[in-house]
Amino acid sequence: MRNIRAIAYKEILHIIRDQRTLMLIIFMPFIQLMIYGYAINMDVKHLATVVYDEDQTALTRRLADSFEQSAYFDIKQRVSSRAELREALDKGKAKAGLFIPVNFTKDLLAGRGANLQMVIDGTDSNPANVALSTSQAIVSGFIQKEGLFPVQVSPIDFRPRLWYNPDLKSSFFMVPGLVGLLLQLIIPMITATAIVREKERGNIEQLLVTPIKSHELMIGKLIPYICIGMLISVSIITASHLLFHIPIRGNPLVLYGLTFLFLIVCLGYGLFASTVAENQQQASQVIMFFAAPSILLSGFIFPRETMPLPVYYMGYIIPLTYFVQIVRGIILKGLGFFDLWDQVWPLALMAVIIVGLSIARFQKRLN
Amino acid sequence: MNNLAIETNNLTRHFGNFTAVDSVNFSIKYGEIFGFLGANGSGKTTTIRMLCGILAPTSGTATVAGFDVKTQSEEIKQSIGYVSQRFSLYSDLTVEENLKFYSQIYGIEYRHEQKRIDEVLTMTGLLPWRHRLSAELSGGWKQKLALANAIVHKPRILFLDEPTAGIDPISRRSLWELLYQMAEEGVALFVTTHYMEEAERCNQIAFISQGRILTIGQPNQLKDTITGSLLEIECRPLMKASRIFEELPGVVGITVYGTTLHLNVRDQGNIQSAVVKIAKEQNIDIISMKPISASLEDVFATLTKENK
Repeated sequence: MRNIRAIAYKEILHIIRDQRTLMLIIFMPFIQLMIYGYAINMDVKHLATVVYDEDQTALTRRLADSFEQSAYFDIKQRVSSRAELREALDKGKAKAGLFIPVNFTKDLLAGRGANLQMVIDGTDSNPANVALSTSQAIVSGFIQKEGLFPVQVSPIDFRPRLWYNPDLKSSFFMVPGLVGLLLQLIIPMITATAIVREKERGNIEQLLVTPIKSHELMIGKLIPYICIGMLISVSIITASHLLFHIPIRGNPLVLYGLTFLFLIVCLGYGLFASTVAENQQQASQVIMFFAAPSILLSGFIFPRETMPLPVYYMGYIIPLTYFVQIVRGIILKGLGFFDLWDQVWPLALMAVIIVGLSIARFQKRLN
Repeated sequence: MNNLAIETNNLTRHFGNFTAVDSVNFSIKYGEIFGFLGANGSGKTTTIRMLCGILAPTSGTATVAGFDVKTQSEEIKQSIGYVSQRFSLYSDLTVEENLKFYSQIYGIEYRHEQKRIDEVLTMTGLLPWRHRLSAELSGGWKQKLALANAIVHKPRILFLDEPTAGIDPISRRSLWELLYQMAEEGVALFVTTHYMEEAERCNQIAFISQGRILTIGQPNQLKDTITGSLLEIECRPLMKASRIFEELPGVVGITVYGTTLHLNVRDQGNIQSAVVKIAKEQNIDIISMKPISASLEDVFATLTKENK
């Protein structure tokens, strides 16, 4: 016990005195929170829009207003020719253009089909899709509101609803997953560096001739990093609640318990990297090798369902995949431990494998 | 129980087909400084690793502080201190934090801890620098801190693997004073070194080459084995003379010392006339020639030559 405490205390001194590690621990979560919470905004709102209203009636003005009021489109400019409308989109001044041709009101009131054109900048496909369907909804809503056609009586009362994130805020999607991303980026790196550094400086050689046991050495070294990992998780989850108003619908105990499980996988991974690397540089290379696929394939940013099948299956060997589903499930959907069993057992299995493998390699290298 | 700090009996270690240490036998008493000399790769470090209980011997036995290296390595680790070649300090920890760490690892009771740390700091002269980061110490002080770390638990046996490599002569001298002081207090010291003048300071020395101990004994005894057969010749041109004299029958070893050559010969009388004769033939100027007493370096040079 005393040996473990001595090692852990020494490790904390190392962390406090190593500027690089400290920066990583303190600033990385902060910066990532800013990036994924505020900067990366996939919400489609306030799309710059130009309007060319050739018809110029009270009705067409109300139509344009209903676009403006929707909060999805901001009318930045009213133009007086199709060429100007085109220019605004070409130059990127606007992402959407609404063209109301002459006779629109007349045709509409006469019950003939009226033409209305919406042009959307499709270079970025995701917001374009949203803009497209939103504009359709606005137009049909407008027609109903104006009472231009009798409301159709349908045998199906179709009422779509958005669950879990009704306002479709992307911070709801990104920020909880950030807990996993940060643990994945920070923990293996600092764990591996800490162990490799001891090896690089020849301190391991000195420790070998002391009465300390290898498991004491390992536990003592890992304890501070477990604390750091949990601290990061608590701060991110607290921040997501306070800054982004994300409700934590599930049981926090289950959330932190499973966060701990994921943390063990990350520690194991760092430990593993330290057993294959000779120096700090190699260790960070081994870790970065898995960082990029983890971010891209885990579903943290891009939905896995739209990935090609081989890539989709690759996601299953990435621990972050399961953890992102767990965090989102607990925070946004309020799921419990057993609801998440399909994610929990692979993660637990990975923890056992990676930690077991690393301990075996770690002890072999000591001897 | 015997009174010996270290005793080996045909200690051997193979790595695959390679024999790193080959049937090594020696014994070291408490209070004795044992010098272990040999070139790099001669088996010094492997021997130390076996004696420290971190590498199992392939065959043979050894006891350290009365404990068997094969079965009682945990007891051995409590009784020994080890100063490695690279000063294994935590450079981002202060002098005192380093000591505190090792005193905890060695299980020194909390109430004795500070007292013992102060003792070691005073003894090594590190007291004024107790709060300094060890990275900021000079080479000599770093090595004293490494020594302090290794003795914080009052080991009865201390291993030092090239403890003075790369530090200045004054620091080296003051480190040796500490070692003598410890030997006087009854600690057995096992020191490997490249420096012959350090070997002279030992009570007993052993030369190891290719895993075998070539000779073992007190420095004076070892020098006596070749004294009377050593000839110092001052001559020019030196390197040419060295090549030519080496070929003479009866010359066992030859070493260059500054502007002179040390010839290790079998028979003084015959060789002197032979040297004069060949020097004349080869246009070598002999300025002086006299029999001298041997240094340890001569012993080492002769031994390694004989065993090639």
